[in-house]
Amino acid sequence: MVNGFNPNSLRQALEIRAANDVIPYAGGTDLMIGEQHPGSYLFLHAVPELKRVYLEDGILHLGAGCTFTELLEHPLTPALLKEALSQIAAPAIRNEGTIGGNIGNGSAKADSALIFFVADASLKLESSTGTRILPIRDFYIGRKQLALHPDELITEVLLPLRWLDGYVYQKVAARKALAISRISFVGLLTLDNGVIAHCATAFGAVSDVVIRRPEIDSMLIGKSVEQVKAIRSDYLAAYDKAIVPTRGRVSSEYRKAVCLNLLLDFLNHYEI
Amino acid sequence: MDQGIEFQLNGERVSYTGSATTRLLDVLRDNFALTGVKCGCKEGECGACSVLLDGKLVNSCMVAMGRVAGASIVTIEGYSKTARFAALNAAYAAVSAVQCGFCTPGMILASEAILAKTPHPTEEEIRAGISGNLCRCTGYNAIVTAIQSAAKEGNGLW
Ligand SMILES: Cc1cc2nc3c(=O)[nH]c(=O)nc-3n(C[C@H](O)[C@H](O)[C@H](O)COP(=O)(O)OP(=O)(O)OC[C@H]3O[C@@H](n4cnc5c(N)ncnc54)[C@H](O)[C@@H]3O)c2cc1C
Ligand code: FES
Ligand code: FES
Repeated sequence: MVNGFNPNSLRQALEIRAANDVIPYAGGTDLMIGEQHPGSYLFLHAVPELKRVYLEDGILHLGAGCTFTELLEHPLTPALLKEALSQIAAPAIRNEGTIGGNIGNGSAKADSALIFFVADASLKLESSTGTRILPIRDFYIGRKQLALHPDELITEVLLPLRWLDGYVYQKVAARKALAISRISFVGLLTLDNGVIAHCATAFGAVSDVVIRRPEIDSMLIGKSVEQVKAIRSDYLAAYDKAIVPTRGRVSSEYRKAVCLNLLLDFLNHYEI
Repeated sequence: MDQGIEFQLNGERVSYTGSATTRLLDVLRDNFALTGVKCGCKEGECGACSVLLDGKLVNSCMVAMGRVAGASIVTIEGYSKTARFAALNAAYAAVSAVQCGFCTPGMILASEAILAKTPHPTEEEIRAGISGNLCRCTGYNAIVTAIQSAAKEGNGLW
């Protein structure tokens, strides 16, 4: 095939990736926007290893080549991830678009990546010479900058399921369907006998990289709802400082105000 | 030497020898003269270029030819030979769900995708199913009614 490779195993895909200057093509729904890239595509849709979904020790392994539709229909996909996926684009895009491509595109607007951030998920990165596991937070270095070696592919997302049941997810966009996030927010909170056992938040589409600050969220962990009420304003002030929106199509003042409102809604939702 | 990209197009085996990075939309229109596949944006935003890839709705402007190797593509030209099309065609005509017609080939294939998955969809399921297909003429209500009536009249086809 001219300008393209169609491997049907991961080994083959990684060998081609190592030996050629190729652009990984998963669903094409980011790559095909705008002018065509010069060069060759490494088509990943027929690599079975990238389609696997399995549970191991409380960690859900999601093949990077799973499409949004496949994960929406999969019984192991947690409700929070389904909620985020169901609001991405429209059926035709969800039928081809993949989580690996959502991450590989390197955008802070990526709606599935936001969920992987808040869950402190890791990525499995493989090359023909080895495998590494990297927390998603370390994978995003800056605007469209990823810690991906030129011979590597993202092969799996490792999603810990432990804290995903209690959540608030909000996607702020210009319309209901086919809308890219202007601001997205997700907050996880688990209460155990009135004590906050876990709290994690993430803000998407605001900065160059999704904002995830466990050191701020840890202010609340281990405290009772009553105790948290006393430090609520400190918590909000810490995020006020941490959220530094980049300039974009929507003003940074607006985006920051919305972020703080969403954070407030999240606390109110749990009556803290 | 190079075999080209072989695939099924409306039930026939065909081959394409150009670049694997070319858009399926362009190949369908320019190489195979299937001009029922419309181009409204080339950005995945309008659905006018919708086709079925192995039975699933996709935007052909968002698909590179290498993805199509070994796959089956159905465009409105192929679909229009089916009994299911006849049911949708009658339903769309009965409620005037077509005005300028530019969105219609994509809208019909989106309707097929909805009914293939859910033979008796709710209004909400229909609206979600056509949410990637823009129509600037009808205001959508007629289209939703047409799909509902095709589901009823074409009972058993899906
Ligand atoms: C109309 C429209 C609406 C959209 N709406 C949304 C939305 O609401 N929310 C949202 O988050 N996104 C949205 N998107 C963007 C896009 O659909 C998603 O980012 C999607 O997840 C991309 O996945 P893909 O498989 O199509 O990626 P591709 O286009 O195939 O690839 C994207 C990038 O990732 C790289 N890549 C892909 N797979 C791998 C891998 N396994 N290893 C390493 N690198 C890899 C590619 O080389 C490329 O750089 C929209 C796009 C369109 C056209
Ligand atoms: S031309 Fe493909 S979606 Fe508009
Ligand atoms: S009938 Fe004109 S765009 Fe739909």
